[in-house]
Amino acid sequence: MKRFSLVMALAFLLSLAVAGAYAAEPLTLIIPLPLTGSQAKFGEMEKRSYEIAKDEINAKGGIKGRKVILEFEDSQGKPEISRAIAEKVIDVKKQPVIFGDYSSSSSKAIAAVAEERKVPYLVVTGAADDITQQKYKYVFRMNPSNAYYASGLMSFLKEVVKPKSIAIVYESSDFGTSGAEDMVKQAGRSGMKVLVKEKYEKGAVDFKPILSKVKAANPDVIYMVSYVMDAALLMRQIKELRIDAKLFAGGAAGFALPEFVDNAKDASEYVVTATLWSPQVKYPGAKEFAEKYKKLYGDYPSYHGAEAYSALYIIKNAIERAKSMKPEDIRAAMKATNMTTAFGPVKFEDKEGYQNQNFMDTLVLQVIKGNHETIWPLKYASQKYVYPIPKWRERR
Amino acid sequence: MSAAQVEVLLQTLIAGLLLGGLYALIGIGMTIIMGVMKIINLAHGELMMVAMYIAYWLFALFHIDPYLSVFVAAPVLFLLGVGLQKFLITPVLKVDSILPENQVILTVGIGMVLANMATLFFKSDYRSVPVDYASKAFYLTDYWKDAPIELSLSFPWSVSFLIALIITALLWFFLTKTDTGKSVRATAQDLHAALLMGVNVNRMRMLSFGLGAGLVGAAGCLFIPIYYLYPALGGQFTLIAFVITILGGLGSTVGAIIGGLILGIFESMTATYMGMGWAPVGRFVIFVAALIFLPGGVASLLRKKRLGR
Repeated sequence: MKRFSLVMALAFLLSLAVAGAYAAEPLTLIIPLPLTGSQAKFGEMEKRSYEIAKDEINAKGGIKGRKVILEFEDSQGKPEISRAIAEKVIDVKKQPVIFGDYSSSSSKAIAAVAEERKVPYLVVTGAADDITQQKYKYVFRMNPSNAYYASGLMSFLKEVVKPKSIAIVYESSDFGTSGAEDMVKQAGRSGMKVLVKEKYEKGAVDFKPILSKVKAANPDVIYMVSYVMDAALLMRQIKELRIDAKLFAGGAAGFALPEFVDNAKDASEYVVTATLWSPQVKYPGAKEFAEKYKKLYGDYPSYHGAEAYSALYIIKNAIERAKSMKPEDIRAAMKATNMTTAFGPVKFEDKEGYQNQNFMDTLVLQVIKGNHETIWPLKYASQKYVYPIPKWRERR
Repeated sequence: MSAAQVEVLLQTLIAGLLLGGLYALIGIGMTIIMGVMKIINLAHGELMMVAMYIAYWLFALFHIDPYLSVFVAAPVLFLLGVGLQKFLITPVLKVDSILPENQVILTVGIGMVLANMATLFFKSDYRSVPVDYASKAFYLTDYWKDAPIELSLSFPWSVSFLIALIITALLWFFLTKTDTGKSVRATAQDLHAALLMGVNVNRMRMLSFGLGAGLVGAAGCLFIPIYYLYPALGGQFTLIAFVITILGGLGSTVGAIIGGLILGIFESMTATYMGMGWAPVGRFVIFVAALIFLPGGVASLLRKKRLGR
C-alpha cells in the first residue's frame, strides 16, 4: 500500500514536471475567420496556415514559454458576426490583442471595436484602403492596402506595355470597388484613358453583356478585380467573345490562385496578375512554409496563407518584446515591429495618409504554359515575361 | 446605330435568350410544385446544388460528361423530391398550426440542412467541371467571311439551352397528353374536384414534388459546364426561380417559360445598358412590377387571349 502511494506521488510529480515545461498556463488566442459561407475557402486556408505556425512555435517552446492554443470562431464573412466575435474576445475573454478575419468589411468591423476598447488589432488580409486611414491608434495592417497591390503591375505596364487606354471590370464589394478606384487614379496619373468601368455582383453567371461592351470600346488593357471563380468565368467568356486586348490583367485575389488556371484552362494563358507573394519568392521561410503546406494539404497556398502564417509570428514577436501582457504595452511593441517574415518585411509606418501600415514590394505573375510564373520586378523573376501576347484567333 | 452598337445589342440579346432558357427550366420546377402544393419550395436552389454535386462527382470520379449525368441526377433528384414530400411535407400538411404556411418554413429548413451537409461532406471549396469545350464557341465570321459584325455563340451555352428546350417539350407532352399528367394538372386546378373525380391527390403531390426536383436537377447538370459550384450557391437560384414563378403567374408552366426568358433578356439588357451591378436591382424591379401591375403574372395575359393554361 505504501509503495503504491509512493508510485502515485512520483507519477504526480512527474506529470507536474511535464506540465512545467510550459511555464504557467497556456496562451489561448481566438481568431475570427469565415469558415462557412462563400469565403470559407480562404478561411480554411488561413486556418491551416495559422496552425502550421502554431505547431512550429510550440515546438520551439511557445510564446514566452507559454504553449499557444488557437481557437477559431466562424464569422461567416459577415461583418456583424465579426463584430460580435471581437466584442466577445475583448470583453469576455479579455484577450489583450486580436488579429485575423478575412474580408475588408469584416476587418473594418473588428477594427472599430478594437479601437474603441483600446486593444491592438492586426489586420491580416483586409485590403480596403480606408481601414488604416481612420487615424486609428490600435489598428495595424501587415498586408499592403489595395492602392499598393497594383504598384508592381503599374510599373510593368509603364515600362513594358505602355498602354493608352484601359477597361476596368470589378466586383461590387469593398475590395473590388477600392481596387477599381485606385486603378482609375493610377491610370489618370500615367495618362491612360479609362474607356469602360463596370462593376458586377459577385456570383454572376453571364458576363457577356458587359464584355461585349468592353469589346466595342477596344481598350489596350482589360483590368479585372475578382475572386477566383468569377475570374475564371471572365477569362473563359473573354475567349468566347475573342476580345483581343494587348494585355489581360487581374488585381490580386482570384487571378493569383492555382484554381484560376485549373478552371479557366487555356483561357488563362498569358494573363498577368498583381500579387503580394508567391511560393518561389526569396523571403526567408517562404519556401519552407509553402512546401510544408503542400505536403500537408496537397496544394500550394496563395498569399493569404503566407499572411496568416506570418501574422502569428508578428504577434509572437510583439508579445515577446512587450513589457507586459497589457493591451497598451503590446500596442507599443507592435508599433516598434521591424522584422522579416515569410510574407516579407514588416514595419508599421505612418505615411501618405495611412497609420500603422506595412508598405512592401508587390509582384507580378503571368500564366505561362499553365503555371503562374513571377515576371516582375525583374530581380525576382522566375521567367521572362511573354509580351506581346498572341491574338485568340491565332492560338491553338 | 453604328455596326459596333448593333453588335453589342445582338450579342446581348443572344446572351439573354440563352440565359433565359436556363432560368426557365429552374423556374418551371418551382412552378409545378407551386401549382399542385400551393407552397413555394424555398429549398429549390439547394436541390439544384445537390444535382450539381452529383454531376461534379460523376465527372471527377468516372469522367462522365455533365450533359450525360442529366440521366442520373434528374432521376435521383426525382426520388429525393418524392421522399421529401412523403416523409417530411405530407406529415406537416396534416398538422394544424398557428402558421398557415408552415410547409414553406419546412422547405427553408430542408434547404439549410442540404447546404450545411454539403459543406460538411465536400468542404466549402469552389469546384467546377473543366470540360474541354468550356470556352468553345461558334463565330459568325467563320461562316460568313465579310460579315460587318462579329457575333459568337458559346458551345456549352447553346447545348444547355437546347437540352432545356427538349426537357420543356417533353414536360409539356407529359402534362397535356398523358393521363397522369392530366391528373397532375387537375390537382393543380382544383384539389377537391380532382379528389371527387378519383385522382389520387397524395400521389400526385409526391409526383409533382419529384417532378419539380427532377427538373431543377436537370437544370443543375446544364449549369455546371458554364458555371461553378459551392455549397452556398442555392439561395441565389431559389431567388431567381421565385421571381420567375411570380412573373409567370403562380403555377403556370407556359407562364414560367415566358417569365424565364423575360428575366434572362431583361437582366442582360440591364447589364449592358445600365451596368451589371444593376442586374439584381432589375430583377427585383420586375418582381415588384409584376406583383403590382400583373398580379396573375404572364399566365393571366395568356388566359385572356385564350392561349390555354
